[in-house]
Amino acid sequence: MSTQGTAASTDRSSVQVGFPHWAQHLLVFAIFITIWEMSVQFNWVSALILPSPFAVVVAWWDLAITRGIIWGHFFTTLTEVLVGFIVGATFGIGVAILSAINLTFRRLVSPYMVALQVTPRIAIAPIIVAWLGFGMEPKMAIAAIICFFPMFINALTGLMQVDHENLEMFESMRASKWQIFRHLQLPGALPVIMAGFKTGISLALIGAIVGEFVSASEGIGVLIQRFSFQLLLPEAFASLIMLTAMGLFLYGLATFADRHIVFWRHADLVDKISRRMRAKNAGLAGIKPQE
Amino acid sequence: MTVAPELVTKPASAAYPRETIIAAEDLGMVFEAGSVIALEDVKFEIKRGDFISLIGPSGCGKSTLLRIVAGLLTPTGGTLSVKGEQVKGPRPDIGMMFQKPTLLPWKSVMDNVMLPKTLGGRVSKADKEEAVALLQLVGLEGFEFSFPGQLSGGMQQRVALARLLNTGAEILLLDEPFGALDEFTRERLNVELLRIQREVKATILFVTHNIQEAVFLADDVFVMTPRPGRLTQIVDVGLPRPRDIEMTKDADFNQRVFEVRDILGGTI
Repeated sequence: MSTQGTAASTDRSSVQVGFPHWAQHLLVFAIFITIWEMSVQFNWVSALILPSPFAVVVAWWDLAITRGIIWGHFFTTLTEVLVGFIVGATFGIGVAILSAINLTFRRLVSPYMVALQVTPRIAIAPIIVAWLGFGMEPKMAIAAIICFFPMFINALTGLMQVDHENLEMFESMRASKWQIFRHLQLPGALPVIMAGFKTGISLALIGAIVGEFVSASEGIGVLIQRFSFQLLLPEAFASLIMLTAMGLFLYGLATFADRHIVFWRHADLVDKISRRMRAKNAGLAGIKPQE
Repeated sequence: MTVAPELVTKPASAAYPRETIIAAEDLGMVFEAGSVIALEDVKFEIKRGDFISLIGPSGCGKSTLLRIVAGLLTPTGGTLSVKGEQVKGPRPDIGMMFQKPTLLPWKSVMDNVMLPKTLGGRVSKADKEEAVALLQLVGLEGFEFSFPGQLSGGMQQRVALARLLNTGAEILLLDEPFGALDEFTRERLNVELLRIQREVKATILFVTHNIQEAVFLADDVFVMTPRPGRLTQIVDVGLPRPRDIEMTKDADFNQRVFEVRDILGGTI
């Protein structure tokens, strides 16, 4: 009955090669790092232009462990991204909901939505800084503006794609507009909204970094700019790696949220929830105990 | 549960005169500002407890007619009344089922079946136990807490049927409910639908484009023809109940099938 096996699918190619997947990845990574290190060691590329992986690790150790100065910047940027994303997502989904339930509202706001879409939103950054100053607020605002649009458009798309027969089913049960929204439209839109989360959170990170480039005294973007100007490229690379780590963390967060909010798209989760519900309702008349 | 044959078999109607539950008077439906005539001069009466099949080729207006009875569409001409009242919108005593199961994938089978109760207010323990009983009735015991995505197409339609029964409606409108299923599943569900109708004593209006299915299920087959959509003829099936799949081998059964085919054949 259940459709298991998506999570723990066996990989045939790894069986043929005789190497587990992670070992293959490790091998490719090792080759990549070795070539990079050699190209610097043998002077194929100047160490001033491309720091060796070893130099980057040394610089990272110094910034993150010995002096530990990178963490304050890291959490500044992370806070800007998260607050910016939450604000942008709230507004994006909010405006989408209003547009979905009210045709006049949709007609009136749509030109501004298109204008916002075709304007390179990064270009708003200097203006935002002029308005909000040099603290974290302008970075949050830029992050929010950049991730607003994909959140809005995904939420609106999801809310508008209601199946006609499903709608008739609700109407035949004399459901109110609010009930149709609450039980059909909104949950039905969640898969598309959650897909927007993944795009949105990556864009929020771009927005925060752009804000830091324009003007800031703290944040990973500031560090990268400062180190690059000073030609401290190992330190610049070490900072960049911190951004990659942050991006991965945020993407993982969005993926986790997606899995648990849109649980019905994941066979392994559905099986688990289904068993839990059965156990919880075991006392109900007519329900047979679990086999 | 006991069967009340006087409600579902025609011969008993002489002893127990049954009231008209649905009546259509010169029904007409015109779409797109007069350019498409979906229905014209449709007239019929359906008695309480009848099983009516509505058959016809695509575009004959059978789905339109069903939606008018459901109160989802307002006819542009004539009147449709249920229990003597003109239908002005969806009613609690009329329920509908579709070709697609229209289940909510984020709700368990139980919660899907309880949707009519959820929309009506708070769900009590008795409501839950009723849903469990309904799932037993449609043959889904043990699947109460499965999710729609874990079920086959046939099982999903069984859930949809249980949900329809849970509305408490006594008039059930079924729009090609088994049309997307394979032949074996369809046959089994047809037999079970007849059993369920005997138990819940509903009046059923069943849209299909399968002639065998229409005759197998119905007391009367309403034959419709397209352009414009008209109710051309009503075929009284008159075969004994309860029916099982063996009946499809009978000469009488096949006689009715040919009769319906002849009416349709002359018009397509």
